[in-house]
Amino acid sequence: MNSRTGISKEFSIMVHLSSTLLKRYHGGFVVIRLALGGCTNRPFYRIVAAFNKRARDSKYIEQLGTYDPLPNIYNEKLVSLNYGRIKYWIGCGAHTTKPVAKLLGLSGFFPLHPMTVTEAERKRKQAVLMEAQQVGEGDKEDEQDKEEQEA
Amino acid sequence: MAASCMVRRVCRLSCCMRDSALREWPARALCASRVSYSSTQAETGADGFPKVQFSDERVQDILSQITGLDLQKVFRPVKEELKPPVYKVMTDEQLHQAKCWAAEEARKRLKMPPVLPERKPINDILAHDKVLEGLETAKYIFTDITFETPHRQRFVVVREPDGCLRKASWEERDRMIQVYFPKRGRKITAPPIFQEANLKNVFLQDQHEALLDLCLAQFEPDSAEYKKVHRLTYEDIEKQGKYDLLRSTRHFGGMTWYLVMARHVDGLLVDMLQRDLIHDAVSLVSLFNLVHPQSESAEEAHKLKAEGIDLIKVYAKMESQRAGYIELALQAHQQAV
Repeated sequence: MNSRTGISKEFSIMVHLSSTLLKRYHGGFVVIRLALGGCTNRPFYRIVAAFNKRARDSKYIEQLGTYDPLPNIYNEKLVSLNYGRIKYWIGCGAHTTKPVAKLLGLSGFFPLHPMTVTEAERKRKQAVLMEAQQVGEGDKEDEQDKEEQEA
Repeated sequence: MAASCMVRRVCRLSCCMRDSALREWPARALCASRVSYSSTQAETGADGFPKVQFSDERVQDILSQITGLDLQKVFRPVKEELKPPVYKVMTDEQLHQAKCWAAEEARKRLKMPPVLPERKPINDILAHDKVLEGLETAKYIFTDITFETPHRQRFVVVREPDGCLRKASWEERDRMIQVYFPKRGRKITAPPIFQEANLKNVFLQDQHEALLDLCLAQFEPDSAEYKKVHRLTYEDIEKQGKYDLLRSTRHFGGMTWYLVMARHVDGLLVDMLQRDLIHDAVSLVSLFNLVHPQSESAEEAHKLKAEGIDLIKVYAKMESQRAGYIELALQAHQQAV
């Protein structure tokens, strides 16, 4: 197997044929993360395997998918994932960032991320509080109306 | 691609439909390996007789024979970019070779699209995580974009807002695959021409062939909409008797198969006899007997071992509703001969 590891030992790229133009990064590693694109008030993410030290939107090693955070007319958020290549990069020792790990957990590829569960619980509690507040406000308005009528 | 076609050319119904859909079949044939149509095995009919399928060799032979090979119609001029005409000076032998090559090309273009049973809806739930309720208001659709997987085996899963992880339905699958692997001539949402009200206008303009080409480009062959459009088209053709519109096109075989399965063969038979296509009429009746081996005409023909015109006479006597017409047409043909 040809493994041209001209890069530091921290992340052992076993079989990746690195191009000679790829820079060496001290203590760097490959990471699977979201690179932001799109326009003002219209985000669009590419799921990308890149070196950790690189800028968020700059040169990446490989694009592994896309994520559109705005729902479409069918109320769907589209996510595309190249599972074959994601498996390869994780096998080469790539890390994933939290949002990517959450997406992969939602898709069933990874187990569910604990923060996903926590956020769901927090939102449910928030929703219950908001309902209670609204009911409280509704009661107050009824009382005020009654007082005005009596007066 | 389709948009630029419409802008460049006159926006008439016929040219829109033909241009966008005409080039589809060769492209489909190239990537046929990525889309695998599962052929159903020979099912046994009601009485335990083996049911003949559309993809059987005998059926395909008969249908391709009935379709005919009118080179003038297959290679009729289509609205294209203007190019100066090419004139070639050929010897008789070269002309003969060119005609053989043209016939081969025409046969490729006349390859019949498959007739498949309607696909069953997908109702597979992979997981139900109730802890995720209230997290999101929108669904997530995850599509696997590995290039080598055939589209039929691609993973497309949906995470609902209530935490249910299920396989995507056929419509969602088609839409996602069109988003990430766009096919030429196919739109993400079906064009309004396929609504029933608009289909009537199409039929009034005799645009059945172009409509079926467009339907083939837009829908999968086993989807409900594909079957519905084809059924309505074939029924309209049979009602109006416009069989010649589809003759020598790749949809003729499908239409004949539909009519034979529905047992509405009389109109087509009469039309063939009126156009003096006796061989085609004989093949049609033999196909009918193949597909319905328990029908009276099939059993009678098997008893008498009828061949040729006798087959048609047996069919006219036993099975058809327009026996008078068929016999008149046969007599007229024999007098002409």
